[in-house]
Amino acid sequence: MTPNGASGRRPDGAAFIIALGLVALGALLVWDGGRIPDKAGYSGVGPGDVPKLIGYALVLLGIGTAIEGWRNPGPKRAKQHPVPLLWLLGGMVVMVASIHTIGFVLGSTILFTCAAAAFGERRFHVAIPSGLGLGLFIYAVFDVLLQLNLPGGPIEMAIFGR
Amino acid sequence: MKHALFGAMVAAALAMPAFANDYTIMAPASPGGGWDSTARTMQEVMQAEGISSNVQVTNVPGAGGTVGLAQFVASASGDPSQLIVGGYVMVGAILTNASPVSLADVTPIARLTGEAVAIVVPAASPIQDIKGLVDAMAADPGAVSWAGGSAGGVDHITVGLLAKAAGVDPTKINYIAFSGGGEATAAILGNQVTAGISGLGEFLPQVQAGTMRLLAVSSDARIDGVDAPTLSEAGYDVVVQNWRMVAAAPGLSDEQKAQVAADIEKLAKSAGWQKALADKGWADTYLAGADFDAQLAKEIEATTAVLKDIGLVQ
Amino acid sequence: MDTFSFLMQGLATAFEPMMLLYALIGVTLGTAVGVLPGIGPALTVALLLPVTYGLDAAGSLIMFAGIYYGGMYGGSTTSILLNTPGESASVITALEGNKMARSGRGGPALATAAIGSFVAGLIATLLLAFLAPHVVKLALVFGPREYFALMVLAFVTVSAAFGESALKGLVSLFIGLALAMVGIDQLTGQTRLSFGVPQLLDGIEVTTLAVAMFALGEALFVAAQGPGNEGAVLAIKGRVKMTAQDWSRSWKAWLRGTGIGFPIGSMPAGGADIASFLSYATERNLTKHPEEFGKGAIEGVAGPEAANNAAAAGTLVPLLTLGLPTTATAAIMLAGFQQFGLQPGPLLFVTAPDLVWGLIASLLVANVMLLVLNLPLIRFWILLLKIPQPWLYGGILVFATLGTLGVNPSPVELTMLVLFGTLGYLMRLYGYPIAPVVVGLILGPMAEQQLRRALSISQGDPMTLVQSPIAAVLLALAAVALILPMILRARGRGDVLAQVGQAED
Repeated sequence: MTPNGASGRRPDGAAFIIALGLVALGALLVWDGGRIPDKAGYSGVGPGDVPKLIGYALVLLGIGTAIEGWRNPGPKRAKQHPVPLLWLLGGMVVMVASIHTIGFVLGSTILFTCAAAAFGERRFHVAIPSGLGLGLFIYAVFDVLLQLNLPGGPIEMAIFGR
Repeated sequence: MKHALFGAMVAAALAMPAFANDYTIMAPASPGGGWDSTARTMQEVMQAEGISSNVQVTNVPGAGGTVGLAQFVASASGDPSQLIVGGYVMVGAILTNASPVSLADVTPIARLTGEAVAIVVPAASPIQDIKGLVDAMAADPGAVSWAGGSAGGVDHITVGLLAKAAGVDPTKINYIAFSGGGEATAAILGNQVTAGISGLGEFLPQVQAGTMRLLAVSSDARIDGVDAPTLSEAGYDVVVQNWRMVAAAPGLSDEQKAQVAADIEKLAKSAGWQKALADKGWADTYLAGADFDAQLAKEIEATTAVLKDIGLVQ
Repeated sequence: MDTFSFLMQGLATAFEPMMLLYALIGVTLGTAVGVLPGIGPALTVALLLPVTYGLDAAGSLIMFAGIYYGGMYGGSTTSILLNTPGESASVITALEGNKMARSGRGGPALATAAIGSFVAGLIATLLLAFLAPHVVKLALVFGPREYFALMVLAFVTVSAAFGESALKGLVSLFIGLALAMVGIDQLTGQTRLSFGVPQLLDGIEVTTLAVAMFALGEALFVAAQGPGNEGAVLAIKGRVKMTAQDWSRSWKAWLRGTGIGFPIGSMPAGGADIASFLSYATERNLTKHPEEFGKGAIEGVAGPEAANNAAAAGTLVPLLTLGLPTTATAAIMLAGFQQFGLQPGPLLFVTAPDLVWGLIASLLVANVMLLVLNLPLIRFWILLLKIPQPWLYGGILVFATLGTLGVNPSPVELTMLVLFGTLGYLMRLYGYPIAPVVVGLILGPMAEQQLRRALSISQGDPMTLVQSPIAAVLLALAAVALILPMILRARGRGDVLAQVGQAED
């Protein structure tokens, strides 16, 4: 909405990618809605009808986003730093992939350490023991005392016997 | 504040004895539901009666128990300490969800409890008996709306069976699924629907308070203290029981299976279990061994047929 | 005995020293667990319920009431300070509350939430005590078509209130609606958008989506801004206590929130989340400071928090009068009753009056206790913002993982946490509002199911939707809410254009 000189006329590239994503999501819903057998029964509205409606709306919103991106430039975005982002996402992904084998304590230690690294704390000799301590504390309180079933692994086996 | 927290937690810790692990029971549902309370009651009684020194309960919710069942088959195979709770709802869910695993992939041990399905109308309804309701459905199936639990569940199946028994096209029934008996109860009390169908326990307090009229129950014989005919008594050959069972892991040796079955029999016959059943209002429908296997096979067959008739399964 | 003497008797029991101690322990434990980021009240109550098992009926009830209120208040504390709501009803609180916390007004935000919760809890519990049998009759009038009309009203008012760009708000909302389609269609048993993944058959868990989009999305976004962004959050600026202006802007919002929350909470298919959405929309429309909304308006915290608490007391109406648990927390409470061999139902007020009145008195005591405990603690909670970022976000993420595992311990659930977290980051990056996604996920299936149920009952006649007076009024309100801002905007556009023109000169 804020015209910002000559460079402001340049179409917003990100808007086209978002528009494409929305159209693709919409198409997926329309396709899936059409695949469902029509069992509208007495209501006249079947299980596939609402997904199709939402799908069409998403396609329209995608087109709207593309037009908007053509007419108006995107706002100037702050530069994103990929390294902390990768630390954080990497920590999440490794934790998700491994927590059911290595157990909650080690999984959360990895996540905690990577998250701390993402925010600039790269002293691993401090972060790893802290994460380990936090994981052990949570496991002791929630799994052992409050009977919440958390994934177990070698550490849980050695300390808590489960 | 820290001290109060710590004190309460220590108290909680002391209340729980630390024994070796003997049984792990999977409740393939979220905490709080019927399967979960069955599993937790088993846990309590098995420990209290000394059948097992330590019993753990795990919850794997999802899709009528089929998510838990699939995980159980994959992870517990050959391990005699693993048990899973299940029930009639699972039979239907396996079919409607086209589940890759079925009850044939586990070792059913015994049926433990069961509950009849009840058919009610709002107190203000002009319909007085089950015949009046079925006749209205025969005259115009669309005009009779049924409120019950989720599509393809035991309530839906019972309506389908009833329609079939009364000579009404089961695909024509106007069944309106609600998320569980509670929301269905509200719709019935608010006169939003013609009739309601759900577990007897769900409706009984309302019937006793006079806000609903109980027309029939789906058990094979009249239930003590419940003033309503069975469906077969009223001339419709329909017997449905929403039972719950316990099964062991696949791939057990005969000795292992016999050991588990013996433990479960000890549980079912124990005073603690009988008291728990009475407290919770569950009927004792213990059935084990070849009798249970035969019964299970028969019910799977009947359920498959009716789900095809309703049009939920191709 | 009449209602009043029953209540007095219940209060007399609740004021015994041991009972007060149990209430204090309950409130403390509830707050301590509820305050952990990403852990909502339902999980808190489920986890802590066993702690009450050893006590007698009265002690157990009062500790339970304390845990319940403590868990709810603890949840809003972290929503406000850290933008990590653990349940759908706190999403709205986070919207304005976190903006306030970031600009150094975390103290007043927490205070208005605490006092608003107290006021709403007090009024709603008294309404529960004296009016429950009448309220439930009104609530039962709501059938599928009335609920559908209510959902339409919620959609219209809430989506009109989100964000600056209507297009971006709608995109967010429809992403939420699309996610809502995943899973088994409850009315026909057909699977939608599940692609053969069994864990998707039950749909996308609201808590997982909320925790992912808010807690993880926020962490990713903050991290991506690179080092040296600590200055973005001010721990304390100005007074920790509420100013006279804060009070005068809050009290009406508390009362309105209570007025919206209690009846909606009483409806069997209502819920605290819808109450908080509607309260937010109301405050946004009535405020004298519209420019502050989206930047930290105190009414936007006061109203929804009051509505949330009033609705929580409201859910006890169907539970105690009909035996219907309408929320996850109420279902857990039902399990709590059953340990005393009680089956809540229409006759509970007659068959077990001491217990019912004991519970109501306990709720009142717990409510007071919560305020007494939490107002002095606000100074301490704000210090959470002073924890260095690496430790703070490390902790938030570990607790978010714990919350997700607590609800559903499956690798698929954790994978969704990561995917939706990434989506939350990208949406923040490109300026799309987050809350409408959660709103769409909650309201979408409700609106769809109620519409199809209503049409099923009428055998396909769409006129049924306007034939009930309540539904017709609600739909008319929705129409007004949709059209009125358009007219105002059309009339106001001239001025805005003129201003833009001047700015360019």
